[in-house]
Amino acid sequence: MRVSKMSVLGLPVALSALLLTGCKGHRHSSGTDEFPRDQTLYLAGSQWGDPTSFNPLAESWQAAWPVGDRFNLMYEPLLSYNSLTGQVEPDLGNLVSKDNDSIVVDINPAAKWSDGKPVTSDDVKFVFDLGRRYKDAATAFAVEFISRIDVKTVDVKGAKTERLSFLVDKKGRDNPLVILDLLQAIRIVPAHVFEPLIAANNNDLGAVKKLKLDSAPVVSGPYTLAHYSNEKIVLQRRDDYWGNAALHDGKLPAPKYIIHPIFKSNDAFAIALQKGDLDASQTFIPRIWQKFKDGVGTWYDAAPYYVPGAIPLLVVNTTKAPLNDRNFRRAMAAAINYADIKELAVSGYANDIKPGLILPFGQEGKYFDEAEAAKHAVKPGLESAKKILADAGYKAVFKADGSLDYTTDKAGNKLPTLSIKSPAGWSDWEAMVNIAVKAMRDAGIDVREGFVDAGLYWPAKPSGDFDILMDKPAAAVTPSLPWSRFEATMSSRNWVPVGGDNKMNENQGRYNSPKSKDYNPKVDSLLKVIPITTDSIALKKAYTELNDIFLDDQPVIPLVYLPEQFYEFSTSAWTNWPTSKDPYAPPLLPWVGASTKILWQLKPVE
Amino acid sequence: MLRQHPTARFILQRAGWYLLTFLVAVTINFFLPRLGTSNPVDIILAKSTGGLSAQAAREKEESYLKEFGLVKLDGHGNIRRDTTIRMVKVWDASKQASVSKPDTLIKPIKASSLDQFFTYVKMSLSGDLGTSFQKYPKKVLDVIVQAVPWTIALQLPTIVFGWIVGNVLGALAAYRRGMFDRVFFPVALLISSIPFFVFGMLLVYYFAVVLGWFPAMGGYADEIIPSFSFEFFGSVAYHYVLPFFSIFLILAGGQAIGMRSMGIYELGTDYIKYAKWLGIKESRVLIYLFRNAMLPQLTGLALSLGTMIGGALITEMIFSYPGLGMAMLSAIQNNDYPMIQGVTLIITTCVLIANFTVDIMIGFLDPRVKAGLQMGGN
Repeated sequence: MRVSKMSVLGLPVALSALLLTGCKGHRHSSGTDEFPRDQTLYLAGSQWGDPTSFNPLAESWQAAWPVGDRFNLMYEPLLSYNSLTGQVEPDLGNLVSKDNDSIVVDINPAAKWSDGKPVTSDDVKFVFDLGRRYKDAATAFAVEFISRIDVKTVDVKGAKTERLSFLVDKKGRDNPLVILDLLQAIRIVPAHVFEPLIAANNNDLGAVKKLKLDSAPVVSGPYTLAHYSNEKIVLQRRDDYWGNAALHDGKLPAPKYIIHPIFKSNDAFAIALQKGDLDASQTFIPRIWQKFKDGVGTWYDAAPYYVPGAIPLLVVNTTKAPLNDRNFRRAMAAAINYADIKELAVSGYANDIKPGLILPFGQEGKYFDEAEAAKHAVKPGLESAKKILADAGYKAVFKADGSLDYTTDKAGNKLPTLSIKSPAGWSDWEAMVNIAVKAMRDAGIDVREGFVDAGLYWPAKPSGDFDILMDKPAAAVTPSLPWSRFEATMSSRNWVPVGGDNKMNENQGRYNSPKSKDYNPKVDSLLKVIPITTDSIALKKAYTELNDIFLDDQPVIPLVYLPEQFYEFSTSAWTNWPTSKDPYAPPLLPWVGASTKILWQLKPVE
Repeated sequence: MLRQHPTARFILQRAGWYLLTFLVAVTINFFLPRLGTSNPVDIILAKSTGGLSAQAAREKEESYLKEFGLVKLDGHGNIRRDTTIRMVKVWDASKQASVSKPDTLIKPIKASSLDQFFTYVKMSLSGDLGTSFQKYPKKVLDVIVQAVPWTIALQLPTIVFGWIVGNVLGALAAYRRGMFDRVFFPVALLISSIPFFVFGMLLVYYFAVVLGWFPAMGGYADEIIPSFSFEFFGSVAYHYVLPFFSIFLILAGGQAIGMRSMGIYELGTDYIKYAKWLGIKESRVLIYLFRNAMLPQLTGLALSLGTMIGGALITEMIFSYPGLGMAMLSAIQNNDYPMIQGVTLIITTCVLIANFTVDIMIGFLDPRVKAGLQMGGN
């Protein structure tokens, strides 16, 4: 008896003792021979599930980091946008000029693929024209904007240079702003690799998009794929990268390896950063200042910590009563307690919100007219919201305990309980919705949280199957902001009613129906004219006019300002990250746009 | 001949029932995800049509529908279309009213759930579980094959050890009572009533963040590439400790409480009293007791072993541990039909095999079932 009892109790102890012998204390303190810590950079927050494809022609959601989205570590775009300066910086190309007819870019004569072949206009034309050949090309949307790409050879500082003119499609979308976005979003791929690949697959692009392309890819960027599994993706520096000499004064990027570990929950990022296992991340971490003592840093070392770039908002289905009444929408906007959302839902990571859809600072600040906006904005506050409702004939009935029972419209009919559709488990969005719901109910607006799985959220968005929907349109900071934010929420370009297979990829709230007698043609004409307005005074006037209409009609309800990325870093292994005190690159992870140059500036801790 | 034999008949009968259960379960697993309103192509489209014109978006949608076998195809592999002309209501701005017009949009004929079911059965029989929507272009079988070793390596030892340790301790507590039980029972009750995720997070916080003894997350260190090396397996073992204990302790606590109550019940029975009066050795009596009290516990073990393949979702999330749980969760959230079907097919098979085995084992272990069999056989 005694023996068996001992062995039973001793088993876990013995097991842990056995395992402890292999223990090293701190996980990343020294790294391994294969990946020495002082040569390896750990970045995370972009890849969540299993990496399944590294195919640059696949849809952006299919291909893994750093191929899928706008990353430029393996495949590069022609230009990089610096959201801090508003300038377009060179990458595979140099911006020569831009006007309403064309955007002219020189291909960098030094640019080379990893197989030694030069990057040429054939490569650029291959990618941008793929949508003309195949409707299912991931870049098919580009053809609505670019009518043609003209090529000529010029002499730039003694070097033969290919000069590309991207001609604005005047009869199509007529929008040079979006072309500028596309030139920094679409990555160039080697035509001499992909043309034969397409031919070998019987000209079936679908079959080519299915290929994983995960071994020995031909790339132009500073890193290439070295290894991947369901747990991580490893990139290795290409010491013969053309841009080292042409763009970075002959220097090599500091990290020889970049490892992107794949975590399964948000908490993992905070712990890994705090322990120094992760060097930079882009996830929402509540109360980040508590981690500063562990070497964690953000752009600003005091509130708001991050640089705002996007506006999460409530999209209102304007085809449904009572949401089709702009007074009702204005009452909603008045009721919401924005200070609570900022402090409680997003840990104070935001500047105070101003009325409208234009960020009142940074690159958008020059378009914002505060005095004018104040004239059109609703007066915020509970009493103001109640007054707007009462003036419009709505009547709220409260229970004895002070909670809302129901609301009636002018005719005395009971209004339905409205629901805010939002993805379950997105904790910061859930908190915003909770706070908004509470404030609106206090004002007499019968609304409830409707947290649903991603599987119900995504399809509901284009089909308009919602009362109110949480969204963050135009989430990436691009040269076309704030126009793209207005376009995403107010454009009637593709207006179709809710129902059947009807889908809208912008203005999902179906605001400003061209079929209605209340149609305001000014909105669409302003959206059309802003991208081709070059005079800065006229541009500010147009934006102000659009923002005024927005505030009068309140088609969507902005809740708070959030950063494009929650850029946060650890100085335990690498230092010299850009911050507000040393703003040499925008506050983004060193894998996108002008922030890639961070890789050349980092210094390993001795 | 074989059917005359009571044991063989028992096994055959059971096997028949299990086969039927399997077919029903697979059918339900297939149709259940399809009952919802959303379909996976809509989810994919919503992520990849931003900025596209309506026409381009529709063409993209059709290419996905074809890719995932959700439309009917003609002999040349082209999408079959509905050419019957329908009237639809269209807004006429000049009249400020809706008017009826023939629908100019020629829609593809969608494959019905039943068509899809036959395709699914045909493919499954040939060992092809299809392509995941969400992890496109990865095969469902690849996802399962990569994740299952981690899941089994984590779950099998924790379940088996937890079960053995819990039951032995429970039996001891029941038999010994006294001081041992007075300390043991509240502790076991406390441990087993802590939710998995709280216990896991406490382990991470204390042993990984505060003390720094163990890694906080992952199946092995990020700076190691899996290989048959001492370094890799050492790292795996080191990363195994916290996830193991997060499941093991709670499981053992729960088993111990169950076993203790069963043991106390069995102690009051006549055969134990009789055995004690006869002066049979204590260890011998304990074996009798254990054998009988074990039967319901055994059923519990079978169920845990059967469902373990589905993954330890909470543990995976807290420790960012590799496994099938997270793959299953995101498949369900995103209505990834092939993935849900593939994983539930494996889970169903495992649960049924485990139950079948226990059924047969109990037939031999439990004298009452055995007697019933023999009587039925006569």
